[in-house]
Amino acid sequence: MAKFMPFAGTMLKNLFSEPVTTSYPAKPAVYPERSRGHVEITIDQCILCGLCSRSCPPRAITVDRAGNKWTINRFDCVQCGYCTEVCPKKCLTIVPGYQTPGPDKKEATYEKPVVETEAAPAGGKPVPNLDLCVYCTLCAKKCPQEAINVDRAEKKWELTEDKCVGCGLCASNCPKKCIEMK
Amino acid sequence: MASKKSVVPFGPQHPVLPEPIHLDLVLDDERVVEAIPSIGFVHRGLESLVKKKDFKEFTYVIERTCGICSFMHGMAYCNTIESIMDIEVPTRGKYLRTIWCEMSRLHSHMLWLGLLADGFGFESLFYQCWRMREQILDMFEASTGGRVIFSVNQPGGVLKDMPNDMLRAFVTKLEGFEAELRKIADVFLNDMSVLSRLKGVGILTPQEAHDLGAAGPMLRASGIARDVRMTGYGAYGDLDFEVITSDECDSFARCDVRIREMFQSIQLIKQAVDKIPEGDIIVPVKGNPNGEAFVRVEQPRGEAIYYSKGNGTKFLDRMRVRTPTFANIPALLKTLEGCQFADVPLLILTIDPCISCTER
Amino acid sequence: MAGKDCAVIEISTGDFLMKVMEMKTGGWRLMQAHAVRIENGYELSYTFGMDYDWTSLRLVIDENEEIPSITNIYPAAFLYENEMAELFGVKIKMISIDYRSKLYRLDEETPMKQL
Repeated sequence: MAKFMPFAGTMLKNLFSEPVTTSYPAKPAVYPERSRGHVEITIDQCILCGLCSRSCPPRAITVDRAGNKWTINRFDCVQCGYCTEVCPKKCLTIVPGYQTPGPDKKEATYEKPVVETEAAPAGGKPVPNLDLCVYCTLCAKKCPQEAINVDRAEKKWELTEDKCVGCGLCASNCPKKCIEMK
Repeated sequence: MASKKSVVPFGPQHPVLPEPIHLDLVLDDERVVEAIPSIGFVHRGLESLVKKKDFKEFTYVIERTCGICSFMHGMAYCNTIESIMDIEVPTRGKYLRTIWCEMSRLHSHMLWLGLLADGFGFESLFYQCWRMREQILDMFEASTGGRVIFSVNQPGGVLKDMPNDMLRAFVTKLEGFEAELRKIADVFLNDMSVLSRLKGVGILTPQEAHDLGAAGPMLRASGIARDVRMTGYGAYGDLDFEVITSDECDSFARCDVRIREMFQSIQLIKQAVDKIPEGDIIVPVKGNPNGEAFVRVEQPRGEAIYYSKGNGTKFLDRMRVRTPTFANIPALLKTLEGCQFADVPLLILTIDPCISCTER
Repeated sequence: MAGKDCAVIEISTGDFLMKVMEMKTGGWRLMQAHAVRIENGYELSYTFGMDYDWTSLRLVIDENEEIPSITNIYPAAFLYENEMAELFGVKIKMISIDYRSKLYRLDEETPMKQL
């Protein structure tokens, strides 16, 4: 039962109706709230732990701890949002609005304001209460900087102070809640 | 008179194909005698990247295998990890995955219908299909934040929830979509000029489809009722549906199967929205995968097989994806034998080829 | 649970072709084949399916061991075998359509052979 020109109605209607497309860029595009456009950082809260840079699939983020700088190459970023997932301080967000194209790949650098009490960044260093500790090694596994070394057999808990960035992930993951940030 | 054979190279650049596949067509006059495929123009080595990215990060790599079934790539990869580590995804997470899967199927089939219309030279029908597809993409953008790459899967569940009012709004939109689809489907299934291009072209018998390991709509159009969704992964076990098949074995049957699958997808989404429970969407994953798992899912193009092997570190040993196009290439070569030269582009389209998927 | 339903049967090189032949006569279809690089060799998996059942034949071979192609039994296997040969350097003889390392355009030979 083949029909002859069943599409004619739609075509005729299209001739006399408004176009479904909009005249971008004269009329700006509207992005929904959840649209993943670009990564934004609240640099004041950043503790420069470097977890984002190590988790970024295209390695678009670099963290300079010595220089207090957080840098993103927005042209390399693929807007997956993994950095916002792993950030221990949740200071990264992914918001609508795409990077404008350009002839060069440019980096955007954010400098963290230097705080006077530099010796103790953010939440301080973790101090365990070894009476409660069960040496489960979870803190060592969760540490983004691999600053904690736990030996279950010898019941040893060690912190490499230089590496520690004071993110507090060990304290929040401790099943015994025996780590305090001091 | 002895016939002279000629070899015509087809592709890798061809107006009908957005992706590169090359075929050497051996022709006897206008009739194709044999076709030898060659792929490999877009091989990116994504599988070997698994040794350099940790298993959670790799989710974002694997979903970039393909722009159409990206959600299912991410989901099935997570399924392998969940299977190795014995993680049970919360029910709401499973339902959300199922809803997104069916939305993927809708937009993939809509894209294919558009390409098919373009393939047989029906430009305005092509535009209509793609305009309709845009509605699904908008729904994806509103729910996941991405139009093509969704980045909502992680081992253990999904990262974003869809509030119930958003789900209900989607169902309302889909009802409008369904009404439009009925009009379009009428053109594909009944228009005289369309039928003249599709009917009786590219016959693949059920026996051949089975022997050559065809998958998806290609297989079901040859009358074999096999759909991996029936094994009940995700939330499919709770939903009520049947495998869609056709006995005509030709290009028209493949078109017909896909169109009916779209109506079915809309029904599945409605069912899932009715049944979706409240609760968590993700469970935390602790430790590293150690072991191996095979997982298969039904992608819009057919059955896809995923394999992961972990060694107890955060880097996997091996991740393998067997995509439906890979399985359908031998079947494609079979349908090409004996067809007219002018039908070759259309026949390549009927397997819904995704070369980026195939080569990874 | 999904993923654990695919049984893996270990076989040896000696009865490899016979087992594949048994699969063929039993009406199984070839679903996929892949290689995994392991210490000193490869672990090959040939997955077969019948309706919704599936099972894998697992073959562990040495690095330089040559295995026969199964394209005589399953013609559709030629792509899988070419892929194994090209990405991993598995030595497979008598593939029906042998691309001889021209299936993929690769920068280096057998990129996935490195451990």
